[in-house]
Amino acid sequence: MIQASMIAAISVIIAFSSCTRNATTPPITSIEKTDSLKVNFSSSSPFAFFSFKNGAIVANSDSATLAWDFGLRFTTFILNSNAFGPGNAGAILQNNIYTAVTAAPSTGYAYDTTTSQKGIKDGSWYDYNPVTRSFAPKAGKTFIFRTANNFYVKMELLAVDYEAFIGPIPLRLIYRFRYTYQANGTTVF
Amino acid sequence: MTIIKKNIILFLFVFASMINVSFAQNAIHDTGFNELKTINEVTVTTTRTEKSIEDIPFPIQVISKKFIQQTGSQKLIDILQQQTGLILSDNPLGQSLQGYPNPFGSGIQLQGLDPAYTLILMDGEPLTGRNAGILNLGRIAVGNIQQIEVIKGPATSLYGSDALAGVINVITEKPKNNATILQLNQASNNTWGITANQTIIKNKLALQFFANRYSSSGYDLDNAIYGKTIDPLLNYSFSVKLFYDFTKKIQWQSSARLFTQKQFNNYLVFTGSLPVAVDGDSKEIDGGFNNQLFYNFSNKLKIISRLYLTGYQNNAEVFLQTDKQLFDKNFLHQFLVKPEIQIEIGEKRNQKMITGIGYNYETIEADRYSNKKYFNAFYCFLQKEWLLKNKLNITIGGRMDKHSLYAIQLNPKLALAYKVAPHLSIAGSIGTGFKAPDFRQQFLYFTNSLVGYTLLGANELSNGLLQLKQQGQIDQSININGFLGDHTLLPEKSIGINIGGKYALHNKTHFAINVFRNDINNLIDRYNLPFTKLNGQAIYSYVNINTVFTQGYDVTVTHSINKQFSFNLGYQYLDAKDKNILSRIKNAEIIKRDPVTYLSSYVTKDQYEGLFNRSKHTANLQVCYFQKEKGWMANIRANYRGRFGYSDINGDNILDDDREYVNGYVLINAAISKLFKSGFEIQAGVENLLNHKDKDRLPNLPGITYLINCKINIKQLF
Repeated sequence: MIQASMIAAISVIIAFSSCTRNATTPPITSIEKTDSLKVNFSSSSPFAFFSFKNGAIVANSDSATLAWDFGLRFTTFILNSNAFGPGNAGAILQNNIYTAVTAAPSTGYAYDTTTSQKGIKDGSWYDYNPVTRSFAPKAGKTFIFRTANNFYVKMELLAVDYEAFIGPIPLRLIYRFRYTYQANGTTVF
Repeated sequence: MTIIKKNIILFLFVFASMINVSFAQNAIHDTGFNELKTINEVTVTTTRTEKSIEDIPFPIQVISKKFIQQTGSQKLIDILQQQTGLILSDNPLGQSLQGYPNPFGSGIQLQGLDPAYTLILMDGEPLTGRNAGILNLGRIAVGNIQQIEVIKGPATSLYGSDALAGVINVITEKPKNNATILQLNQASNNTWGITANQTIIKNKLALQFFANRYSSSGYDLDNAIYGKTIDPLLNYSFSVKLFYDFTKKIQWQSSARLFTQKQFNNYLVFTGSLPVAVDGDSKEIDGGFNNQLFYNFSNKLKIISRLYLTGYQNNAEVFLQTDKQLFDKNFLHQFLVKPEIQIEIGEKRNQKMITGIGYNYETIEADRYSNKKYFNAFYCFLQKEWLLKNKLNITIGGRMDKHSLYAIQLNPKLALAYKVAPHLSIAGSIGTGFKAPDFRQQFLYFTNSLVGYTLLGANELSNGLLQLKQQGQIDQSININGFLGDHTLLPEKSIGINIGGKYALHNKTHFAINVFRNDINNLIDRYNLPFTKLNGQAIYSYVNINTVFTQGYDVTVTHSINKQFSFNLGYQYLDAKDKNILSRIKNAEIIKRDPVTYLSSYVTKDQYEGLFNRSKHTANLQVCYFQKEKGWMANIRANYRGRFGYSDINGDNILDDDREYVNGYVLINAAISKLFKSGFEIQAGVENLLNHKDKDRLPNLPGITYLINCKINIKQLF
């Protein structure tokens, strides 16, 4: 409990200090946002592409551009670099509390070396419960992304739910996540 | 700290209640209340030979025929779960899924270990055919049980694999007197039981026949879901026993049993976008044949040769209701042959030596395994007792198992019992136990046809990966070499310590306490391979990884208030934790995220409550009235199961949040019976009087049910 409240206190301080920094150096460069993304369940359906900068889904027709940062299908992440895109995206999955991540590392970003050897390993970030058939994102896993255009983002998955469905297999998963996008190009959040 | 304090208070409360009643009179001894017991109750499980319960240095609990009859229940699991420390546990995969039938049912959790870690014996021989580690206890008919012996703590030193948490040995009746007994049972949910027992004794020959038919319409806890929560079933049990004394020294005992069950399944499936109903059935057949020859060479030497054969089959099929096409089919076939020779040397009570050798030949075949499997295993055991100055009993034993699948297993046991005073004894034991990896974990070869993931048993991993790669289901660029070769799983191993004491006050009130601790290593768990199939789906296999401990104590008090009234009180405290989790908490590696506020924080040691599906506190109270002259008997039994963890909600996959619990509950059962001079007995009862139900989390608990039993004992018909 003491630790929890201390962490809460620390996160308040961090929030506060980032506020004061933003106030002294406008315009606001760090965007914090909670978003959700509908993702195909079937492994033969298209990926859902997401852009951190715009905080929006990107059309599949733009898959060969720098417009997207990561793609998601079922529980599989792909990144806009190497095997999947023209960008320079990479990812680090850090064991840390989201609010405690104050800076992105400068090196160590993983990417998809081939179409089946992914930078973000499937099964590394969730627990599957065979009774409820749920994919629960593990707590304390913070994703740090380098975007297709070399900007830095920290992201936490909050929940993965099934979209209501009738039939043998669910059609879509709904991912809820929060992220902080550093628009000034630095690694500090 | 507060948790510990609470326990101390609870403990003191239990003790205080012991002291309060200890000045009254009259005695009962075991869990079969209502019968004035002398201290000559005989058990067989602890030493494989008949032995007075007073002499046994391990914790043992005996459930008598009297108790079984007093419950009026036709279900063995209901009888077992009314005992201290025997807790009904659903398999985590055994809960009904959206109207899908519960495929595994429930078993008994002992000393905080799952049902798979308790060996189930019938007349000393193992039953086969476990689904996901759970043996369907409905296979054992209640009508001809003489007594049930429960050893708590590892008994591998005598019984081999699976006896890690303990042994439940169901002893059926031996032919004693010529008798014909007929029983008719009726209960809620259209449940019917008919039982016939016939014993014929002529000179040196004793014959016994037993037959039982049991049927139930099942029940439905949730009308919103198509199909029943528990499907209707019909089963038959038969057994024949033949005892023949060739001479005074040579005796032959032979018995055969057969059980068949059909459960009628009806549920919804999806073949297209709309649900369609399927129906079909699951058929179970379980048979056993046990042949024993006893040679009593002298008072000092006895040899028993045994041949035991058993087979189990489970075949399930469901068909689409619309066009009667086969939709799904599952089967499991298992067979075991077990010859054994046992030698008993020694004359005096508590000075005997027992030794034996045996061999197991086993086959198993199932739709989810790649092909039929054959195993053989050799074992030998030895147990020696000494009694020093009539006060100190020392028992040393051990067993060696050489199985074709894994390395030699040596499991020793040491037990001491000391009679401090005529009415006070203390005992302690330490022993190891093991559990062979189960067949699933070794041989599963299964791909989910709907979603596409693959599960490979450890022994199939190498071949399975090569095949997947050959079939182009794994990307050619992935290096699978690190996963090829031998992946044989090691048996799961434990060390168990039990320390306890027994005290009898005025020989009328009995107290017993047992403190236990089990440390289990090499627990097998599922893991994800670090790469996926080309369809993006995971490949799973099994590995020895976890270490857990379970510890606690149980207390029982039995007391007779007067000739008519008696009671029995039991309590168990349990603490069961994963040691890997504890060390990860210590290293600040476990973080939780509140599902409402999304705030994350480190989990502390105090917040970690232990393994799921374990109640810290369980208790039972049985009050009984018995009027021998007029044949009246009545009892009321309360069972408390404290809250237990159900599933994670805060993203750390451990039990550390109040919202992850199922609330504690109390079951109250009562029964009343009258025995007439003619030998006719009638009984009425009610179970789950408070009508406690939880359709999602306790699917095996119907609401309130009623029962009526009639029994007639026709004496000297022959």
